[in-house]
Amino acid sequence: MKLAYEIDHLMYRYPRQTTWASDDLSLTIAVGEVFGLLGDNGAGKSTLVKQMANLLTPTRGSIRLFGQPLNVNNSVQHIGYMPQTGMALNNLTVGEAFYFTAHLRGLSRPDARRERDRLLNLLELGSLRDRPILRLSGGQKRLVSLASTLVASPPVVILDEPTNDLDPQNRSRVWELLRAVNAERGTTLVIVTHNVLEAEKVVQRVGIMQCGRLAAVGRPGVLKGELNRHLRLEIIFASECPPELPTDAAVTVLAPGRWLLLIEREQAPLYLAILNQTLSIEDFRLSTATLEDLYLSMVH
Amino acid sequence: MQPFLTQLIDLTLIQMTNWRWAWRSGLIVSSFIPVYLIATFGVFASSDDRVGLSYLLTGSLILSLLLIGLSRVSEHFAFMRALGTLDYFATLPIARIAFILATLIAFVVLALPSTLVTLLLATLMLHVPLTIHPLVILVLPLICLALSGLGALIGLLGQNPDEVNNLSTLVSFVLFGFGPVIVPLERLPAFVQTLSLLSPATYAASGLRQVLLGQPDRIPLTLDVIVLSAFTVGFLWFVAHRLDWRGL
Repeated sequence: MKLAYEIDHLMYRYPRQTTWASDDLSLTIAVGEVFGLLGDNGAGKSTLVKQMANLLTPTRGSIRLFGQPLNVNNSVQHIGYMPQTGMALNNLTVGEAFYFTAHLRGLSRPDARRERDRLLNLLELGSLRDRPILRLSGGQKRLVSLASTLVASPPVVILDEPTNDLDPQNRSRVWELLRAVNAERGTTLVIVTHNVLEAEKVVQRVGIMQCGRLAAVGRPGVLKGELNRHLRLEIIFASECPPELPTDAAVTVLAPGRWLLLIEREQAPLYLAILNQTLSIEDFRLSTATLEDLYLSMVH
Repeated sequence: MQPFLTQLIDLTLIQMTNWRWAWRSGLIVSSFIPVYLIATFGVFASSDDRVGLSYLLTGSLILSLLLIGLSRVSEHFAFMRALGTLDYFATLPIARIAFILATLIAFVVLALPSTLVTLLLATLMLHVPLTIHPLVILVLPLICLALSGLGALIGLLGQNPDEVNNLSTLVSFVLFGFGPVIVPLERLPAFVQTLSLLSPATYAASGLRQVLLGQPDRIPLTLDVIVLSAFTVGFLWFVAHRLDWRGL
């Protein structure tokens, strides 16, 4: 198996901070793999991917890209990086942003124009071609930023929360696009996301980060296997009258009046009986565990 | 990777788009303040005081260049840091110095129209005859580059855009007032005369007086060019080292 990334005991601490933002991270990502990074805000996901994009120098440890130590030459040649924050080229039009990015990535002027048109078609942004990025909606800017990252088809693409600000239709389109980019070009994708349920359809392996460390790494199916003996129980109730559950119930509060529990399969009858007797229950759903449950069970 | 010159052209065009939507207001503001200064101080200046009037004219030009070259460049770098724009450029196969130079050149191009407008209005208002030296083609961009280079450095030194804004305002006023920029050298206190030799604005103003008005100065034009070049190279060197945009 050829490796795109080999990360070895990576440590990173921001200046004037006492805690490690990356704390002894070791990880490999295969060429052509779609790797998802999950974790709460501040878990260290963005810090990790910034080091992988060579935008931060690790305090300790090492990163190898395609077998070579990560450096300026191989990072700018092989990596496309979409930051979490907005689009950089706000004063350019959409077409100009694609064209200049393609040209600066080494394409000839005619090829850069062709690449611009390809991306405008790919993300159905043709109608926005001559519009300044500054005047686009948040979701449109996100799509433009994603397309800019894919310019000239770098073999490794790192996306920091690519579906933020997108409506459900565009989110679905982005996931489909990423799946296609990976399948057709063999692009290695590293995706930081909070959309765990949507990511589950695309990522081949996930890393769950917590406090700068990788709490778990593996295929979603295998990781979820550990939860297979559990069921997810989502309860919706009048928030002023919470149900009385067994004292050992591990409750995740999703919102006022909305709880999520992971329960043992054999406990299901007990919980159903409680719910049937509780008048304040408005709705409940019992199902097998998802990647989101795994994520929630690990980070909370 | 594109050749250096191609990178420079592309990046300059990208940076110039920063005022494609606001160049009119930029031109007005950077011309209005110096012209307002001339109108105010011109009232008190005697028409017989040719030296005083020439300092007022070139000083107002320096103010215009400080407003664009120093203040707006520092602001631009501060916002590029705050908004993550540097991350975008850092992931492209471009030379760091091409990026810095392109940013400064774009500001030089922006500064020239407002400088010319200021010069035109100031000449009309003060009735100071111009004697243009051919070296104006070198001196004017060099002044812009030196002041923009200092602006870029300030933009990278401040912790956030607000701090950078305060710092650049302070430095602009110090450079403007703390030397023979708008006030003739002999009318300044002795310690200011000495300290002013450390200021790029001193050499910028001296150079402008010589290439626009044909006035001899205590500092020869050649020395002005050398010192301004040294300031430019020095500021670029510091900016390139300070611009922490890639890891390894």
